[in-house]
Amino acid sequence: MAKRKSSPRNWLNRDLIDATVFFIILGLVWEFSVQLFAVKAYLLPALSDIFREAWASRALLLSESLVTLKEVVLGFSIAVISGIAIAAAIYFIPVAKRTIYPLMIALQSIPKIGLAPIIIVWFGYGLGSKVIMAFLFAFFPIIISTLGGLAATPKQLEEHFAALGASGWVTFWKLRVPFALPSFMDGCKVAMPLAVIGAIVGEFVGSNDGLGNLILLATGSSNTALTFAALLAVTVMSLLLFFILERLGKLVWWRAL
Amino acid sequence: MRALESISCDIKDCEFVSMLGPSGCGKSTALRIMAGLLTFEGDSVRVGDKDVTGPVDEAGIVFQTSNLLPWRDVTGNLRLGMEVGNHAGGNAEEQLPQMLRTLGLSDFAKAYPHELSGGMKQRVAIGQALMRKPRVLLMDEPFGALDALTRDHLNVELLRIWQAERKTVVLVTHSIAESIFLSDRVLVMSERPGRIIEDVLIDLPRPRDPSTTRQDPKFGAYVVQLSKIMGIV
Repeated sequence: MAKRKSSPRNWLNRDLIDATVFFIILGLVWEFSVQLFAVKAYLLPALSDIFREAWASRALLLSESLVTLKEVVLGFSIAVISGIAIAAAIYFIPVAKRTIYPLMIALQSIPKIGLAPIIIVWFGYGLGSKVIMAFLFAFFPIIISTLGGLAATPKQLEEHFAALGASGWVTFWKLRVPFALPSFMDGCKVAMPLAVIGAIVGEFVGSNDGLGNLILLATGSSNTALTFAALLAVTVMSLLLFFILERLGKLVWWRAL
Repeated sequence: MRALESISCDIKDCEFVSMLGPSGCGKSTALRIMAGLLTFEGDSVRVGDKDVTGPVDEAGIVFQTSNLLPWRDVTGNLRLGMEVGNHAGGNAEEQLPQMLRTLGLSDFAKAYPHELSGGMKQRVAIGQALMRKPRVLLMDEPFGALDALTRDHLNVELLRIWQAERKTVVLVTHSIAESIFLSDRVLVMSERPGRIIEDVLIDLPRPRDPSTTRQDPKFGAYVVQLSKIMGIV
């Protein structure tokens, strides 16, 4: 038991040190090459200018981030709930496997960026259309990973539960669901950054606020430092959301066994 | 493909019976029929005075793989059999400390399956079946995946547990020595489609012990007799 508890911590420490050193070096290279080669600020600002701009515009960045965050979280949550429901339907109902499953694959094959304009027409400039975009980008990996997880239960354990006289319902909750959780969590980790992309795409195509909107405005007015600051905010938000999922994923530690 | 010919046998209460046969002779199939996991053509399978029509509460089954749930510790896995199906085991919590002692796993109550050796996992699997207080313990090559030393050790453990719990045991094995050492009776099965070709009474004194039982001249005689029936010598 000691092994399981201590090894991830060591791993994290070492990883953290390596990563920090690497990123500091990368940042220094950026900072000094921009100065050394006298790159024009509207093309690529120095890292320090980006941080300065980010600090100066912190209130704006925060409010725009919250708009985007809300879109992402709502879209992702709807994707998770509907993804589980659709996966369960496909798993339990044979006719759903023959009808809904191909429909999902067909939907996934549509380039969703191409759907963005019509989504804006249908759902307006506000929150709704961005939530739908985030949802559209995120739901497919969740369906696939949930289905894969549900199929991952070892045959001999199914027989074991049958021998114990477990009902189908009990077998589902006490055997299949726990076995499906690690794969489902993987699906969530794939889906979360996609939800962020979906929301940003939605904001690009039509919106009055959000980080995607800010990126467009800043780039249009040649305030490249602000563009990068907004990109930084998107990245930080994505990382934070991913980190939360990573922590939740630790709860299903039996994945690697 | 027929796995089994007609098979007929009666097993007495508290009897320890082994089904011995070559790989693929249908002995596991026979065990699954007794457990109510497979349907069959023929008259009936009865446990006590009930016909077997589906998974039976009165039977506890132990498979070759221990089938423990990786997210449950030893205690949680022992409880599993009482949580998910019907059983006659009563209260799990009252039984747990005694069961852990019987299995020799008191120090591992909170350990997870990946922290246990193969032999320990198999002991948990046996405990899980026993917790349900079955009339019959059905075992499908429970020690088949273990190394020889662990296997010998667990044979002794199994006899100790059997003597403490007084169960009817049906054990499927392809080890001649194991079947003699453990059983009151050995049912020798033919190649597929399997049928019982010989019913050998093992008249060795109990309690049995590796150091004395295997020295018994009768033990050697049984090995020869069973090997001949199986066509090995």
